[in-house]
Amino acid sequence: MNELPQQLANGLILGALYGLVAIGYTMVYGIVQLINFAHGEIFMVGGFGALTAYLALPGGTTLWLAVPLMLAAGITVSTLVAVGAERFAYRPLRGAPRLAPLITAIGLSIVLQQLVFSFYPDAKKAKVFPKIPGDAFQVLGMTIQRSDLFLIVAAPVCMIILGWFVNRTRSGRAMQATSQDPDTAKLMGIDTDRIIVLAFAIGAAFAAVAAVAYGLRTGQVDFRMGFILGLKAFTAAVLGGIGNIYGAMVGGLVLGLAEGLATAYIQHLPGMHLFGGGAWKDVWAFVLLIVVLLARPQGLLGERVADRA
Amino acid sequence: MTTVRSTETTPVVPIPSGPARILTAAGATGTAASAFLAWTWTSGFPGDLTVYGYPGGLQWLTLAGALITLLLTLASYHLPGLRWTSPSGGNNGILYAALGAAATTWFTLIAISAELGGLANLEPGGWAAGATSLITLLGALGLPLDRHPRGAGQGITRYLGLRLAKVERPLPPVRELPSPIEVLLIVVAFATGLYAITFGLDTDYGELFTAYLLLAGFTVAALTKSGLVTRLRALAVKHRTVTTGAAFAAAAAFPFTQSSDQYTSVATNILIFATVALGLNIVVGLAGLLDLGYVAFLGVGAYAAALVSGSPASPIHVHFPFWAAMLTGAAVSIVFGVLIGAPTLRLRGDYLAIVTLGFGEIFRITMNNLNGTTGPKVTNGANGIPRIPDLVSPGFTIRGLHIPAFDFGRKHSIGGLELGRFSNYYLLMLLVTAFVVLVFARVGNSRIGRAWIAIREDETAAEAMGINGFRLKLLAFALGACMAGLAGTVQAHVSYTVTPDQYTFAEALPPNSAFLLAAVILGGMGTISGPLVGATLLFLIPKKLEFLSDYQLLAFGLALIVLMRVRPEGLIPNRRRQLEFHEADIPDQAASPETALTKAGA
Repeated sequence: MNELPQQLANGLILGALYGLVAIGYTMVYGIVQLINFAHGEIFMVGGFGALTAYLALPGGTTLWLAVPLMLAAGITVSTLVAVGAERFAYRPLRGAPRLAPLITAIGLSIVLQQLVFSFYPDAKKAKVFPKIPGDAFQVLGMTIQRSDLFLIVAAPVCMIILGWFVNRTRSGRAMQATSQDPDTAKLMGIDTDRIIVLAFAIGAAFAAVAAVAYGLRTGQVDFRMGFILGLKAFTAAVLGGIGNIYGAMVGGLVLGLAEGLATAYIQHLPGMHLFGGGAWKDVWAFVLLIVVLLARPQGLLGERVADRA
Repeated sequence: MTTVRSTETTPVVPIPSGPARILTAAGATGTAASAFLAWTWTSGFPGDLTVYGYPGGLQWLTLAGALITLLLTLASYHLPGLRWTSPSGGNNGILYAALGAAATTWFTLIAISAELGGLANLEPGGWAAGATSLITLLGALGLPLDRHPRGAGQGITRYLGLRLAKVERPLPPVRELPSPIEVLLIVVAFATGLYAITFGLDTDYGELFTAYLLLAGFTVAALTKSGLVTRLRALAVKHRTVTTGAAFAAAAAFPFTQSSDQYTSVATNILIFATVALGLNIVVGLAGLLDLGYVAFLGVGAYAAALVSGSPASPIHVHFPFWAAMLTGAAVSIVFGVLIGAPTLRLRGDYLAIVTLGFGEIFRITMNNLNGTTGPKVTNGANGIPRIPDLVSPGFTIRGLHIPAFDFGRKHSIGGLELGRFSNYYLLMLLVTAFVVLVFARVGNSRIGRAWIAIREDETAAEAMGINGFRLKLLAFALGACMAGLAGTVQAHVSYTVTPDQYTFAEALPPNSAFLLAAVILGGMGTISGPLVGATLLFLIPKKLEFLSDYQLLAFGLALIVLMRVRPEGLIPNRRRQLEFHEADIPDQAASPETALTKAGA
């Protein structure tokens, strides 16, 4: 039974990754009520941006220098892609039927995947991503890979910056106002178009941070990696209460923990010995979502809102 | 000629309209003639465009495009006998037809140069076709067109400086025709439609299909602008039974036009996909419930049918007859629909979307895991259930009339025509489609259907009016699941094997949840023909774009984005929804009683 700390650590690390990506879903949804299905691909593009920067650096560059540069490149690429998508694909559809942007998002996600698949050199198979070398740490009976250090540092830093931005800056407060009532926000002199672009950009930047963490953790990036991670992150956003940025992180952590624990312990329950292990973890993640939504339809941290559908 | 306020009737290219019209007619004649010349020197390009005196392959499309342009241009001279082609009297139709001919021609020329390596591969005939099609286009741009005034334009044509307006010109009153002649007209229209669709299905190389799609799109736009489509639609509404009958007769005639089973198998898969899309339209289009895991119900039906099919891989060793297998599939799907729906339909809006998405994933993963090692042995895991035997309808006797057993896997000959395995399934699937269409139409126009629409528009208001929202939503969900399950039972037998990977959220090929939703939204929510058209297009485009190989999906994704940009309400929109989204384009409602009437009438 002493594997519990290890499972908790794995779950929290995975959950932080989900949470970072979930912020992009939740911010965009909170402001324009759009499920941005292409967000998973924005995450993936960020990973490839970071990889490009790494490959462009001379061999033997220390990772202390390389990781910040990769981060900058990843954030630049995914932010540009997200802002471009907003400007040319989503904005013209504002006021269109609610489901039309959803189809655009699905189309965009196919396009981004295929662009990387077709035009990135050798991207038809998974590409090798650098890992932070060195032995794993042993803390309180947990084994933590050095590569995970990045995420352990980056996730709280990102959340603190985001919290400061949303609550303390003018743009952040404008963002809150827009998400509460876009029309009134406009009357108060807020440039809502700019706020929407900002929401896309921040979400994309966080996704890029998550992509670098993902690459460091798994040692590879793949043109398909955005799909399943995007799905999980969206689940996390809903779990935490969509529209709430802290909810996204909480939802991510809960989802990651649930997956880790389900993988390890479900099979020990009586009569469930066949339903444990990695093969069923996605099933348990979705079951958790359904159960939470039944008990708390607004999500863990969501406030009960008037029907917006 | 009446003009509607806020649009103007001016040419794009400043030439007097008389010479412009002559230029258009002459250009179209020239293009038609050049289709009979050789366009390239080698038969290396598919379709053999090297023959003088006889068009081949892509040249047929150019010829058709040029002839349609010519017809519409001549009609604008008010020639007796041609007036019916252009009842609106506007010139926008001519421009679209000319664009279609030019697009088809230039696509061919570019394809020849690209594939054979350089412009040197074009023969004079090709140059002639290219030049004359551009002359036609120039002439058409010189005609007085319905346009937005400078600065007021909207839509995609604004970027090209065309500023074409989406005006619906008032049509002159219809001359009363005797009823049999009207019916005859409907039949002719459907025969033409069947021919056009068969041509598209039978295109055996991607270039031909692309050009076909270009021409078909522009021609439909041209005929809409000329008012012919409106006229035909009025006829169809007047003789609804005949129209429905003719549509199914045309669809049933399809296997008889085919010499091999190659394209019938494609058509069968299209029918399956289209039927499921129509089922989804009940859920999304009528009741307004966003279901992102709908393909799972197709999977439930298919797996249920496979398990009772008598396949050696199935752990249940039973072999149901064909009707029982279909009922089982539908029933199991309904059970799952209620199981998923009952707890989740109390949630509102987008939460339902994510729960259904989750259900879709759970279904696929579970089917993968029930393989004996990671779970109980039921579905054989990723390998699926193979060797599903063909459906056999048992023979029986009613009142002395013996109906022999019918094996769907064998060839049958009807009236001297051989019908292969896929033709049998095609006809069976057509019956299923007809059933789903019937259910959709009957339920959609009933008290239940109106209640669904009320819930879709405003659930709170609907409940205040005494509608039990939860029960009706559950009914929509279960009914949709049933339709998909029914299609799934046929799909399992058509494809011999069911595997979990057939039922994913998003994959390169249909059917999957994303494509199904795209078919509904692209086609038009809440209509019957919309999802059928949308599904056909979404199935054919990726299939026929195989010549693009690696870029096939990329092109498909771009097409989705562009189509949503151009027509967010779908290709065949619900009349009422279209009015909602294009109110800006229908100016001056008070002044023109006709538009006011259509709005009220919708």
